[in-house]
Amino acid sequence: MEAYLGIDVGSVTTKLAVVGKDGELITHVYLLTQGKPIQMVQQGLKQIEQQLPKQVNICGVATTGSARYLAGIIVGADLVKNEITSQAVATLHHIPEVQTIIEIGGQDSKIIIIRDGIVIDFGMNTVCAAGTGSFLDHQAQRLNMSIEDFAQRALDSKTPARIAGRCTVFAESDMIHKQQMGHRTEDILYGLCQALVRNYLNNVGLGKDIRPPVVFQGGVAFNQAIVKALREELNTEVIVPPHHELMGAIGAALLAQEETVISNNGSKFKGFEVSEEQYHISSFECKACPSLCEIAQISLDGHVLARWGGRCDLWERSPSN
Amino acid sequence: MRVGMPHMGNLYIPFKALFQRLNIDFVIPPVSNQHTLSLGVKYSTEGLCIPFKLTLGNLIEAAELGADTLLMVGGYGICRLGYYAKTQEQILRDLDYNFEIIKLSLSGRKLFGLLKLMRRLSNNASWFKIISALRFGIVKQFAIDKIERVVQKVRAVEQIKGTANRLYAKAIEAIDNADDYNTLKKVQRDYIDQLNHVAKDTQAKPPIVGIIGEFYVVLEPFANQNIESELGKLGVEVRRRTFISTWTKFSFFFNSLGLDEKSKIHKAALPYLKRDVGGDGWESVGEKVLHAKEYDGLVHLAPFTCMPEIVAQNIMPSTKENIPVLPILCDEQMNRTGMLTRLEAFVDLLKSRRRACNNNQHRGS
Repeated sequence: MEAYLGIDVGSVTTKLAVVGKDGELITHVYLLTQGKPIQMVQQGLKQIEQQLPKQVNICGVATTGSARYLAGIIVGADLVKNEITSQAVATLHHIPEVQTIIEIGGQDSKIIIIRDGIVIDFGMNTVCAAGTGSFLDHQAQRLNMSIEDFAQRALDSKTPARIAGRCTVFAESDMIHKQQMGHRTEDILYGLCQALVRNYLNNVGLGKDIRPPVVFQGGVAFNQAIVKALREELNTEVIVPPHHELMGAIGAALLAQEETVISNNGSKFKGFEVSEEQYHISSFECKACPSLCEIAQISLDGHVLARWGGRCDLWERSPSN
Repeated sequence: MRVGMPHMGNLYIPFKALFQRLNIDFVIPPVSNQHTLSLGVKYSTEGLCIPFKLTLGNLIEAAELGADTLLMVGGYGICRLGYYAKTQEQILRDLDYNFEIIKLSLSGRKLFGLLKLMRRLSNNASWFKIISALRFGIVKQFAIDKIERVVQKVRAVEQIKGTANRLYAKAIEAIDNADDYNTLKKVQRDYIDQLNHVAKDTQAKPPIVGIIGEFYVVLEPFANQNIESELGKLGVEVRRRTFISTWTKFSFFFNSLGLDEKSKIHKAALPYLKRDVGGDGWESVGEKVLHAKEYDGLVHLAPFTCMPEIVAQNIMPSTKENIPVLPILCDEQMNRTGMLTRLEAFVDLLKSRRRACNNNQHRGS
């Protein structure tokens, strides 16, 4: 049976998804990146190989997420695609009538505006990580609770506290202030959720025409308290699709299918064996001009596979040369 | 006396020609790079814009190379830039450099101001000599810009990515080294010819993206992370109105004859913005309105904390002329990966819009 693999290596989590010919999800892996994208891609491949039913054949691979180029070199990707397009493709496949996609991940958040099945506008958080998963994680840790308990507790709130959400630093000091004033923990937690939703809509969503159906995805969509706050703030239904955390990977897999069918050249996938290879990463400072770019390179058995990180093309090498 | 000045794209080339022909001693600091930016950031207030920080870095590097007469633009009615020369002078004095700063006014009579300045720097060279040196410098700038316009087209469709960039770098060097009009003419012809003969994908119909926004970040590739080249790699043809040669043509000559290339743009902006808001904000709005039909998309470049462009950015979504606009803020914290992700997604958006548009036309006919 034909299947396609999508790999989404984000800042916090690494997702792999295998979809069949009609876009149905066959199997997936969800791992924490822990700052080790190469190892996690390898580990993910190993797990996928074990989980994959016998008769399934990988006919195409695509990578996405912030480490998409690195991951693409390791697995031999047929396509390397940015996460905005990948997310939109996956959502459109599952919910064709979608008009707004809200995605909040580990370190970034985005909004994608769709009309008649076409992306017409998008936005991404620029300078600050306010309202992303990492910040919620950090606050849960500070209150000594798991991120799952965080959402449960926040849903119990009856009179949410007002928290300043413009900046995470201020939000944190405001939360401490509210604790010291004697507010209940659940009210502070839900107040924080509301503040983050407002912050998201005022920054990432600024000037965007948000229309239903609104789909909410990414790791933070696990948090039911944020979903509730979003619903209240937008005053509309917010759909959280099944496998919302895998949308980037699923979209990449769908794009891999499109790419290999169009090019009709077979896949460049290097096979599951790459999970056993020893990759070597190093970096150096280019001295060709005063810009002193930091060039990173990845090599296998003393053979350089790729270099990147320069402002010019001097060191850029595609994996094919 | 040794003259030094900040960089802005290729502007150093015509000035170099001018200084050489007038026997003015000068230094050219290294083109803007990470070190320049670090120097600028170190001695500037956080909230200042990247044009301030980079030009300050350039001036420091020029002073380090022995420049004691620093040129910087100034004037009224532009934006905060009008006061930058004064602020930078103070910062450089506090750093104990010994120099004189000369402000080149961008308001009032620009050509006459420049001629007078050159007369002063060249120790009273004859007006004839000054005018002919200036003419040679301007012709060099026109040659550069002419080649760059071809490069913008070739980048999008070249079969081997990077070919046009390599030819462009060589062309710049050849123009810089050219000593007379004949060589200059030959260099220009040769390189345009070579660019026309680069192997191209003839089937490609590249999306067209206009670059609009603040003058300096549009023209300084280091400030905008080489955005035009990156768009070229993604198969996009870039167009822009802002070129130094165009500016020169109008500010030095045509404006005094009552001709203004901007009046059409201002007129287009009128329904949404009725007056100059400083910098290039008015023009940004006008260009969006004007180009909505011709181009596939626009990239709006603005320095972080740039008031005029922020005004423009907030007006743009409400124009009825509809074209996708990708706003990009340039500053020292700009993250290259983040910018490339946005550019890639933007180009995907433009391509799928075009496909949908074509499908609709087919259905209609």
